[in-house]
Amino acid sequence: MIVEIGHYALVLALATALIVSVLPVIGARRGDAAMMALGTTGSLTMFALVAFSFGVLTWAYVVSDFSVANVWENSHSLMPLIYKYSGVWGNHEGSMLLWLLILVLFSALVAVFGRNLPDTLRANVLAVQAWISTAFLLFILLSSNPFLRLDPAPAEGQDLNPILQDLGLAIHPPLLYLGYVGFSVCFSFAVAALMEGRIDAAWARWVRPWTLAAWTFLTAGIAMGSYWAYYELGWGGWWFWDPVENASFMPWLAGTALLHSALVMEKREALKIWTVLLAIMTFSLSLLGTFLVRSGVLTSVHSFATDPARGIFILCILAIFIGGAFTLFAWRAPMLKAGGLFAPISREGALVLNNLILTVATATVLTGTLYPLILETLTGEKISVGAPFFNMTFGLLMLPLLVAVPFGPMLAWKRGDLLGALQRLYVFAGLALFAGLAFYYVQNGGPVMAIFGLTLGFWGMVGALADLWYRGNFAKVGFSVGLKRLAGLPRSVFGTAIAHFGLGVTVLGIFAATTFGTETVVEMKPGASVDAGGYSLTFDGMREAVGPNYTEERGHFTASRGGVAVADVWSSKRLYTARRMPTTEAGILTFGLSQLYVSLGDPMEGGGIVVRIWWKPFILCIWGGALIMMLGGFVSLSDRRLRVGAPSRKAKAVKPMLEAAE
Amino acid sequence: MVLWIVFAVLTAAVAAVLIMPFARSAKSAPADRAGEVEVYRDQLKELERDRDQGLIEPQEAEYARAEIGRRLIAAAGADGGRQQAALKTRKHTLATAVVTLVPPAVGLCLYVMLGSPGIPDQPLEARLENPGNNIALLVAKAERHLAQNPNDGAGWDLLAPIYFRSMRLGDAEMAYRNAIRLLGPNAMRLAGLGETLVASNDGIVTEDARSAFEEAVRLDPGNPRPRFYVGLGLEQAGKAAEARTVFEGIAKVSPPDAPWMQLVNQHIAKNSGTVAPGPDTGSEAAQAPGNPSQQDIAAAQNMSQDDRQAMIRGMVDSLAARLKEDPNNLEGWLRLVRSYSVLGDKTKAEEALKSGLKQFPTSGELVALANEIGIAVEGTAQ
Repeated sequence: MIVEIGHYALVLALATALIVSVLPVIGARRGDAAMMALGTTGSLTMFALVAFSFGVLTWAYVVSDFSVANVWENSHSLMPLIYKYSGVWGNHEGSMLLWLLILVLFSALVAVFGRNLPDTLRANVLAVQAWISTAFLLFILLSSNPFLRLDPAPAEGQDLNPILQDLGLAIHPPLLYLGYVGFSVCFSFAVAALMEGRIDAAWARWVRPWTLAAWTFLTAGIAMGSYWAYYELGWGGWWFWDPVENASFMPWLAGTALLHSALVMEKREALKIWTVLLAIMTFSLSLLGTFLVRSGVLTSVHSFATDPARGIFILCILAIFIGGAFTLFAWRAPMLKAGGLFAPISREGALVLNNLILTVATATVLTGTLYPLILETLTGEKISVGAPFFNMTFGLLMLPLLVAVPFGPMLAWKRGDLLGALQRLYVFAGLALFAGLAFYYVQNGGPVMAIFGLTLGFWGMVGALADLWYRGNFAKVGFSVGLKRLAGLPRSVFGTAIAHFGLGVTVLGIFAATTFGTETVVEMKPGASVDAGGYSLTFDGMREAVGPNYTEERGHFTASRGGVAVADVWSSKRLYTARRMPTTEAGILTFGLSQLYVSLGDPMEGGGIVVRIWWKPFILCIWGGALIMMLGGFVSLSDRRLRVGAPSRKAKAVKPMLEAAE
Repeated sequence: MVLWIVFAVLTAAVAAVLIMPFARSAKSAPADRAGEVEVYRDQLKELERDRDQGLIEPQEAEYARAEIGRRLIAAAGADGGRQQAALKTRKHTLATAVVTLVPPAVGLCLYVMLGSPGIPDQPLEARLENPGNNIALLVAKAERHLAQNPNDGAGWDLLAPIYFRSMRLGDAEMAYRNAIRLLGPNAMRLAGLGETLVASNDGIVTEDARSAFEEAVRLDPGNPRPRFYVGLGLEQAGKAAEARTVFEGIAKVSPPDAPWMQLVNQHIAKNSGTVAPGPDTGSEAAQAPGNPSQQDIAAAQNMSQDDRQAMIRGMVDSLAARLKEDPNNLEGWLRLVRSYSVLGDKTKAEEALKSGLKQFPTSGELVALANEIGIAVEGTAQ
């Protein structure tokens, strides 16, 4: 009975979404407070219903109710409890329900924290959120229903895809979805502003925290997915320019641009129209990502089931929302008032440069991702666009941006002094160059270009520190006073510095790992040794082993330095018996920030086995940098000023309008 | 009934929550642009901070200040006008009707279309506690018990023939071997193990199976079942005379109306040199090209083709009957489709494939098998 109540709650959520889609919009047009208030209560109701529904599905997984077809297809009664939970979103239907849950969660958050927004704006935003909810509720109920039943119920489930039985993948989708769906709020704000034909300052204040939150989660989700691919797939790479990866990377790039343009808008009311366009673009790319991954256009571990009906359904959602939003934009954007003025060399100008580069970069990634698909549809020819294309286009585009990053926070608003910023930064540029050279000297062995890459990484890091250094004015006032000044700064300043520092760390990791890394493919017999990264890796032999639901052949390796054994590792090839699915489990040894990565290949005649050994110096910097960026996001989110953005009405009523006279 | 009451309560609750905003009397109108005014004030404060920190030149700060000030005045002015406009009270007859009617209407229509109100929750634990006659559940229960107590020989002994009957041959072999290891060999277990091995090798009595049957015969010479397989093994090895002796031995000790006598007599006749016609034999199937297992069988043994066909046919028919009773067995369906194709019976293979796909619509293995043996799945997949 509980399962059926969960199903019914989902249907009721659709009914509620339909009401919230229509009535608050009418209310906003007529200035009808009651109808606008319906947006708030309706959104909360929707969240309660969907959350209940999701809870019921989770319960069905935990108690292994195989009368629910979805549970039977993706669970097994003897699976560890954590994978019973993660199995809920380890399949198409459940993951769409999670998508919806996060969407209505964001609606509910807007309803709760948006009490101080202008009523019409809030009503419109919640209605647009409800449109998206309606579309996805229909999609779930009509083509991906997780509550379909089996009668009679089977006694045992078919188990979760073994590659998904991994802790990394248990948390990767929720984080990624928090990012993807978080941008829906920005989208709804943009569409609501277009509907009203006006963008007020509260709008500007509101978009940035939502963008920041979504961006922070998306950063974490992408980093998690990348690390998972690195250790689970056994190819030794950490980013493959795979269309599915690009699908999550494009919203991130656009979201990063949005984050920065929202900053300009918040502070200076400039770039309003551009920010609206970016907000629409970012969520459109999120939807496109969902379409690419869910429709089965791309085959990968993410496309759980390929069903043309589902693909067409999502394509329709895509067409309606993206097409509708851009049409609305074309129609209404000219009515919006343009904002403040600024000179080309200024903080605003630097942020425009950032936006320019990021959007072009997004466009190149989009081209590289969609071109093969379109070509295949039109001519039937199959091509693959891989790393060389992206390195040449995307990589080259990013270089000037990375150079410019430390300048941004140094430039003054409205009209900046590039010379002054250069003067202030040249010491730090020198430091970065010195650090790059020193790094090169210590590692000694990469091409000359690497120095620039490494310098660029350090440049990002010291640039962030330089920002704090000048903010604190340590040079003039001394250390202790400087610290006090730093403490008085708003947290968003630290957020910026931390995030930029993290970017530098990631860039450093990318260049160090690609320049100084080595790859060795050898056939090894027990007792053989290979040198990699200053360590000597000895193959001790193979052994058969049996896991709970797999059999494996594992090879044992010992790493030694200077003849002394320092670490040992197992690397194995598994066969999951239930689904007859082979996987590789790479052996990874971590030394500081560097890793030694051992992956088994095919056995050779005569007892040898092909072994691939990668030495990945400073590779952990790549994900560490992403974590630091995420930390920066959270620090910035905790800024007190973000909560001032939409202040309480009481304050307004009491205060006389003195400032207005100034 | 309880379910529908819960639905009614839930629907009423949702409608009630949604109707709340209309029930409240329209109090003060929204002070629409209050937030905006406050934002501009905050921007001014921030401007001061930026200027103090040297982030903006004093002159630029003045310009910015004027810019913000203008917006502030505009926002404050608009505020008063709007407050007046929104004060009138409104009637919401239509909106109230929509809010009251949509949840039950949409809810019921869609749910009746999609839901399965008749199916109760079936958490596995509760079902295992009270499995009734459901074989699958009984098996699952026994499996759980054995996962906890892998040394319970009696459990394995009980489970092994059930596995065999549901064509889970790998599990059956493991269960028989465990039972023999824990409880010691007896004729029943050894014969069961032998039969499992024969079934998993497409009807060929392998070396392993032969020694199991011989051991069973040694332990219980009166049991005709292992003896029959010993005979079959000899027959497949081309030792017709020895095989015939074994079959005649069975015939001697069995009552003439025993159900296995027909089969035994067939084998006696065959090993005497006279070929008994097997039922439903498609002998052209034996020459079916591109069929490795068929060729393997032919190479492995010198028995007459008709006879082998008859034996395989019998096993396949019993498998088909079992699957009709308990269709939830992917391995069984795979085996059945393959068997029919080995026998060259394309129509039946197609039928079996269809039934299998109906049961396991997403099974890639079935589709792959169909491709391998050249049956079109387009028709069946839809």
